[in-house]
Amino acid sequence: MGCGLRKSEVQQKKCDRAIRAALLIQRWYRQYVARLEIRRRCTWNIFQSIEYAGQQDQIKLYNFFGFLMDHFTPASSESKTVTLITHSFIQWERYFCYKSIDVPDSYTGPHLTFPMTFCGVSKLVEAFKHKQQLHARYVLQILGETWRLLRILPNISHLSSCHTKEITICGDLHGQLEDLLLIFYKNGLPSPEKPYVFNGDFVDRGKNSLEILLILFGFLLLYPNDVHLNRGNHEDHIVNLRYGFTKEVLGKYRVHGKKILKLLQKIFSWLPLATVIDHKVLIVHGGISDTTDLNVIARVDRHKVRKTFHFQFIVRNGDAGVPVDFRRRVRSLTHHSSTPSQGPPRRSLHNLHISHQQMNWSVDNELKKRRRLAGFDQSYGERKKPDSDSDPDSEGRLIPSVQMVDLLWSDPMPQNGCIPNEVRGGGCYWGPDVTEEVLGRHNLQLLIRSHECKQDGYEFCHNRRVLTIFSASNYYEVGSNRGAYIRMGADLVPHFVQYQASRTCRELTLRQSVGWTERSALQALRRQLFVHKSDLISAFREFDPNNTGIISPSHWASATESVLKLGLPWRVLRPQLVSSTKNGMVDYQDCKTMKNISDTSLLETMYKNHSNLETIFRIIDTDHSGLISYEEFRQTWKLLSSHLKTEISDDVIANLAQSIDFNKDGSIDINEFMEAFRLVDLSEGILQEIPQ
Amino acid sequence: MHSHTEFTPDQIEDFKEAFGLFDRVGDSQVAYNQVADIMRALGQNPTNKSVNKILGNPSADDLANKRLNFDAFLPMLKEVDAQPKGTYDDYVEGLRVFDKEGNGTVMGAELRIVLSTLGEKMNEQEIDALMAGQEDENGSVHYEAFVKHIMSV
Repeated sequence: MGCGLRKSEVQQKKCDRAIRAALLIQRWYRQYVARLEIRRRCTWNIFQSIEYAGQQDQIKLYNFFGFLMDHFTPASSESKTVTLITHSFIQWERYFCYKSIDVPDSYTGPHLTFPMTFCGVSKLVEAFKHKQQLHARYVLQILGETWRLLRILPNISHLSSCHTKEITICGDLHGQLEDLLLIFYKNGLPSPEKPYVFNGDFVDRGKNSLEILLILFGFLLLYPNDVHLNRGNHEDHIVNLRYGFTKEVLGKYRVHGKKILKLLQKIFSWLPLATVIDHKVLIVHGGISDTTDLNVIARVDRHKVRKTFHFQFIVRNGDAGVPVDFRRRVRSLTHHSSTPSQGPPRRSLHNLHISHQQMNWSVDNELKKRRRLAGFDQSYGERKKPDSDSDPDSEGRLIPSVQMVDLLWSDPMPQNGCIPNEVRGGGCYWGPDVTEEVLGRHNLQLLIRSHECKQDGYEFCHNRRVLTIFSASNYYEVGSNRGAYIRMGADLVPHFVQYQASRTCRELTLRQSVGWTERSALQALRRQLFVHKSDLISAFREFDPNNTGIISPSHWASATESVLKLGLPWRVLRPQLVSSTKNGMVDYQDCKTMKNISDTSLLETMYKNHSNLETIFRIIDTDHSGLISYEEFRQTWKLLSSHLKTEISDDVIANLAQSIDFNKDGSIDINEFMEAFRLVDLSEGILQEIPQ
Repeated sequence: MHSHTEFTPDQIEDFKEAFGLFDRVGDSQVAYNQVADIMRALGQNPTNKSVNKILGNPSADDLANKRLNFDAFLPMLKEVDAQPKGTYDDYVEGLRVFDKEGNGTVMGAELRIVLSTLGEKMNEQEIDALMAGQEDENGSVHYEAFVKHIMSV
């Protein structure tokens, strides 16, 4: 576009200069945006890698935890009753009975009557908005009713769309009540005119998981034909031990928390697996695999499925043999991924090998001793699990189901084929060819799933045949992502509504919100570097035979990846994590995350495993008092360390236990113990921000 | 005049990794329409026109569908790197054109009009993002501070 009629040369010159100036500013703005974008992507990858690596870690011990859960029964009288109960539904009902629980006059929260009414659910929503807590009696009542309802629902719900109303589909909520309230505010409450599908992962991480469940169950009881819940991978009592839901319930309900959790365990196992709209749109939490068969899934006894995560995956079709680096979208061309391995858990430098028999012996013995103390004389091999999730007239034996695990844990990948999902440790990665095949076989046109956080709340892939919907905004950090939900009418075309809870982040400029999230991601990453310090230093040393303390950036990148295995773009991140020498080399001993702290090996191992430790503590703390004795602490540590094939001497443990006993009363408060790890994070000298 | 020095092997490895971050398909390539942004992320600031020229003036269809691997990308990056970039002073001088009163400020409103109508036009959202927090209570932008702000990313 010109500047109008040319009156004179001066004018012409001015015009040219104006255009040149505009071009300059525009070029430079676009560079600014591109640089922010790459920082944002790196940050995203960091969060995702760490999240999935954490899940993978947990999965490795999943069976171990499950075993502990089933066999670590205490000597209290209440649980003796539980274990003596035969598989009788009536007796379970008695156990979960709320009738004996009185609601005191001092209770100011909502009172509920049953059957559930619209008034009741609204009261519940209002109460939670105002941060009130529902009395345990009503909690158990709602849960009991929900359990009864879920038992008669099929594995796969079938819905029909309708010209007069749209179906709303929501993804992961993860305990973020603000997001659910925002959805209701924008979209309206569930009703026969406004059916909803909630696609799993209602709990864990956020702090209002229970409130979300109670609201969803309330609506489910009220409108069972118009509210549909699909199970997510976090609707699982063992995952909950680690990711915060168990802690939330026990913290909010000190007296009845355990019962509530037990009832929830049953409810989770009874949640339906999938929803299909008009026989055309499949909605499931994780995804599919090349073996997915909805007819098989419709027939499975979903409440009896035992989720075992074996590392001997079924051989799948496609490019299973190719060592493809399938970590998310971070496909660094320079780092060479090792072939997918089923290696042992990470070891610290100071581990000694315990033979397999020895390990089994020590775990076995501990458990046998415990059981004797608890008063059981049968050996656990013969005994059927008393508190199984099974039904009155069943054998109590749980069945493995790879198909079900696939539905809840799988992720899509861009390449064709179907390979084990090693990042998560369960389910698979499936490609566009599998999508076409499975959808085709079932005569479906679209797969809607959740399970993965997306920047904009939703994302298509596989030629728009797969749609990911994620409803927890600011999932990783304030400003990290928007949440979204889908509205779908009779034409089965998805329409999206996006949002972001929290006023503060909307006011941040793009640059500020990238900066904030980035700072948080880098801190998490530096924590990982700190925690693996010993392994990292020994990996660096392999490239530095003369012990100069200096290695090349390439070597630094590949050594770091070999230890952390996060699949991150280390070269791009390097300036934020380590200091460089003048000629671009890396001084690996001088960087701020590599402080020389003496005798950190135990602390390091502990820190690496603190989530697992917490999980085990909570299993052992069977009366949910939050306290464990020295002896229990010692046994916990020994159990875990033998499972991880590390060895720690008794003296060291005793010293550590004494130092952790903050109030010196002979017992360790679990919360204080976990708090100590938070203190490690915050203490100066360990994590310093490298100035930009 | 800007003198061009060769990229070191380490720099090239860095570029390669960053390049990989833009591959959303998994074939170790990027789309033509991503090339300009990748170059910008790697420290260049070409105009879209100059990038299109280097790509051989692709059609809209080509831009969306054709893909490029790193070995083809690197010489293009070198070519762009050889072009004059613009220094702090260039930018300040560029903005001074609009400094009617010669007092170190330009009117925000005028800047918006210029950016949306001249050169490689920016849209309203882009301009809002650029100018966020830069205008004072009179609607003026102190452009030396403005330039420092943007160059600091």
